[in-house]
Amino acid sequence: MLDHCSISHKGGIVLWSRSFTPDASHLAASSASPVNSLIREALIEGRTTEEKYEKDGYAVKWTFVNDLELIFVVAYQRILQLTYVDDLLGALKALFVKMFQPFLATFVASLHAINSGKTTVVEAASAFSFADAFDGWDKMFDKLLRSLEDKAAQDRKLRLRPVVRAPVEESSSPPSEELETLPTQSSDAPQDEQQIARNVQALKNRLRGRGGKRGGKGGGRADPGSGRESVPGSDSESAVAKRKVTAKAQRKWGDEAPTETDMASLDFSADSAGGTGASHDLQALVDEASLGTRTRDGMYEVKDWEFSKDEDSAIANALKPADAKTTPTLGALGSLFSRLTGSKVLTEQDLKPVLDGMKQHLMKKNVAMEIADKVCEGVGESLVGKKVGGFQTTNAAVRLALSTSLTRILTPKTSTDLLLSIRTKLSSPLASTQQRMPYSITFVGVNGVGKSTNLSKVCFWLIQNGLRVLIAACDTFRSGAVEQLRVHVRNLSMLGVNGATDSKGRVELFERGYGKDAAGIAREAIAFAKDNDFDVVLIDTAGRMQDNEPLMRALAKLVAVNTPDKIIFVGEALVGNEAVDQLTKFDRALRDFSSASGAGKGRGIDGMLVTKWDTVDDKVGAALSMTYVTGQPIIFVGCGQTYTDLRQLRVANVVQAILAD
Amino acid sequence: MSDTTAAPRVAFISTLSPTAQTLTVASLSLAVLCLAILVFFTRRTSRSTGNLLLLVGPPDAGKTAILSTLAYNQTLPTHTSLQSNASAVAFSLTKKPSTVVDIPGHPRIRDQVNEYLADAKAIAFVVDASTVSRNGPVVAEHLHIILNALTSLPPSQALPALLILAHKSDLLKSGSAASATSESLAITRVKTILERELEKRRVSQSGGVGVEGLGEEGERTEMGGLECTGEKGMFSFDAWEGGEVTFLGTSVKVGRITTDEKAEADGLQALREWMEENA
Repeated sequence: MLDHCSISHKGGIVLWSRSFTPDASHLAASSASPVNSLIREALIEGRTTEEKYEKDGYAVKWTFVNDLELIFVVAYQRILQLTYVDDLLGALKALFVKMFQPFLATFVASLHAINSGKTTVVEAASAFSFADAFDGWDKMFDKLLRSLEDKAAQDRKLRLRPVVRAPVEESSSPPSEELETLPTQSSDAPQDEQQIARNVQALKNRLRGRGGKRGGKGGGRADPGSGRESVPGSDSESAVAKRKVTAKAQRKWGDEAPTETDMASLDFSADSAGGTGASHDLQALVDEASLGTRTRDGMYEVKDWEFSKDEDSAIANALKPADAKTTPTLGALGSLFSRLTGSKVLTEQDLKPVLDGMKQHLMKKNVAMEIADKVCEGVGESLVGKKVGGFQTTNAAVRLALSTSLTRILTPKTSTDLLLSIRTKLSSPLASTQQRMPYSITFVGVNGVGKSTNLSKVCFWLIQNGLRVLIAACDTFRSGAVEQLRVHVRNLSMLGVNGATDSKGRVELFERGYGKDAAGIAREAIAFAKDNDFDVVLIDTAGRMQDNEPLMRALAKLVAVNTPDKIIFVGEALVGNEAVDQLTKFDRALRDFSSASGAGKGRGIDGMLVTKWDTVDDKVGAALSMTYVTGQPIIFVGCGQTYTDLRQLRVANVVQAILAD
Repeated sequence: MSDTTAAPRVAFISTLSPTAQTLTVASLSLAVLCLAILVFFTRRTSRSTGNLLLLVGPPDAGKTAILSTLAYNQTLPTHTSLQSNASAVAFSLTKKPSTVVDIPGHPRIRDQVNEYLADAKAIAFVVDASTVSRNGPVVAEHLHIILNALTSLPPSQALPALLILAHKSDLLKSGSAASATSESLAITRVKTILERELEKRRVSQSGGVGVEGLGEEGERTEMGGLECTGEKGMFSFDAWEGGEVTFLGTSVKVGRITTDEKAEADGLQALREWMEENA
């Protein structure tokens, strides 16, 4: 069921891990293992609050122990709906920490040689024989996993039980005096009989329900799918189930409260048997014995599991929800004293008001609400259980953690050096028959954010670096778009470069008028640039709303046909909550549609250009929202009306602006 | 009458003044003691730092594995690090143990190296020799940042020695040339690729007009650190102006436990020897 499970230190050392299939163990050893990608793409980028992370068909769940700096990770096939993974993680955490607390503490201390000040060299093999240290753990883990899997299987079986049990009950039910007390609703005679049988069974169920109380929870959650999973004890039953699809729809499945009587009303095999006639009753009679034993089997297993639970109380304790862990408090004076004398362990209650304040603060700085929420939650998660030293207040600790987290989110993970990547492409060795392709950059975004204006600024910068630039006017929709670019090209060609009085021939406009297919124009422009020895093609696209599907498809087609080297999303710094929606939808539309039309996997946004930076003062939250959503860097910032008003983002500055009061 | 009044007064003063004196002396000595402790601790910390060996480099190069091999004498399995590790390691029996710091290589958190740079005695840039030909540009970018940081250190500080570890040399197939060991092969490969990529970066920056950084004017934005002596300034590690660069080939095997006094089989022997001499 599980594929991989590991317990490791945040510094990267794996303390214990196990793979359950050869494939998984092979993968776990490589750099593309689910754990590695989880850390790289989720944890380091500050997405610690999401429920699970999915990658290459694996679903990965994790949990932290902050004071011991441990990460617990479980990976399993995504298509499996494993309900017990959360329980497993919780139990693992509790058990592991309980069993190995002293060893873990020394281990963590040995990885903080700087902070502790004393430089005691680890006397290696004797003190840190990791294999010996976690000696009993394998057995414990097996036991825990088995008990959880059994429990899950039990739940599933109990969910099926109403369906499976039905024929047995029906066939073995003797005519009883209780019949009179039961209300009969159906009018026609054969239907009536079945109804009675069903009600009898409901009563029986009620009696039996006492025994199988544990099953009540699982059974109540019966979903329509459970019928399909049922053991094919009698083929009549499955045939009936198929035939009676409409009947199912009429009876409100799953609406019922999970009581024993309602379980009976969920059961409609009795009814269906009535619909198909007496022959099925006969078959049900034949099946009686085998089904009966199976039912008894099920009951037995419940007891078995409970027994083993009693036996191993450690696991049972670990499985209990950890709510009763209230540490004795010494009152305000005591906490003050402990604060003064040493360190204080942060709890959720301590952090909540501070984090709420921080969230409000972030939102005031124009960070999208959703993002502010997630960032603060992530900060909280990384702080719970940590010790704050001496006189450091909770507030200061949160502030420090938030600043680290913001820096981490804003720091680009890929190179933002556009010039270098252009030069690399232009100087890469080519076969003699091949002609050099120009470097193409596409600007996309919603209406009126400044795509054309900032395209011309980027163009100016490229010209200053001695590159020949072709501007492709692919905005064939808005009137005046082509003329606007023409004016820019005229202006740019009059500006001097490197001592020359003008830069004629360094920049040209490629246009085909209005109303044409943008993807075609872009392709022609790139071909033109190739023939005429241009270095860079800047493709200006029409602005579009992220919800307009036809236009998004057109954009994806442009991307799929021309495969530009960079797709830059242009967004304004004024945007608030909308930033999240815009970026996710642009990114997803580009990925989905371009992968559908073209071969290979879809292309997303490669970077962002934030415009109108000069209009927001220190409310620069949009930068944070944008980088959080895409994980891509902000390549440029537009901050004025002239060609030179293009800047590079400096992370420290933005973090300072966001945190400033 | 006067005698009777004077005597108690004297007695009173004599009882009072010793207490005042002791109080003053006690507080003074306490202050001196505090000061002494403070001085002692600051001196101690300043002495204990300054002997750091920093392990830097791109992710998946094997930094944490090296650290665990050095610190625990056994190579534990590792995954991408979320935070830095620091362990005390004794390279030689005679000298004080040095602290090895392993800094995560993920681009978003690799800036942590700046916190430790002031106390660094040596910096080991770990490169995965088996994949460097594929992701040369990324490795070179990271190395460029380190070189830039080294050259922009204040002149008052002693320059840390730079060491480039061609790690995972055991994964290289030492093709036809049987004479060359896998270590030397790894070293040549890493050196050639890094020089080529860094030269690309140098050329692209020289003569280019950068985009100004946001914020205060006059702050240095462009990255330097690639200046070389020699003709045309072509980048090569031998001619690098920042100092001497040492190359070492290393390797570790996950799961192996070194039994003490038999470190010969260890792929990190070259690193140990170097540290013994230089740290």
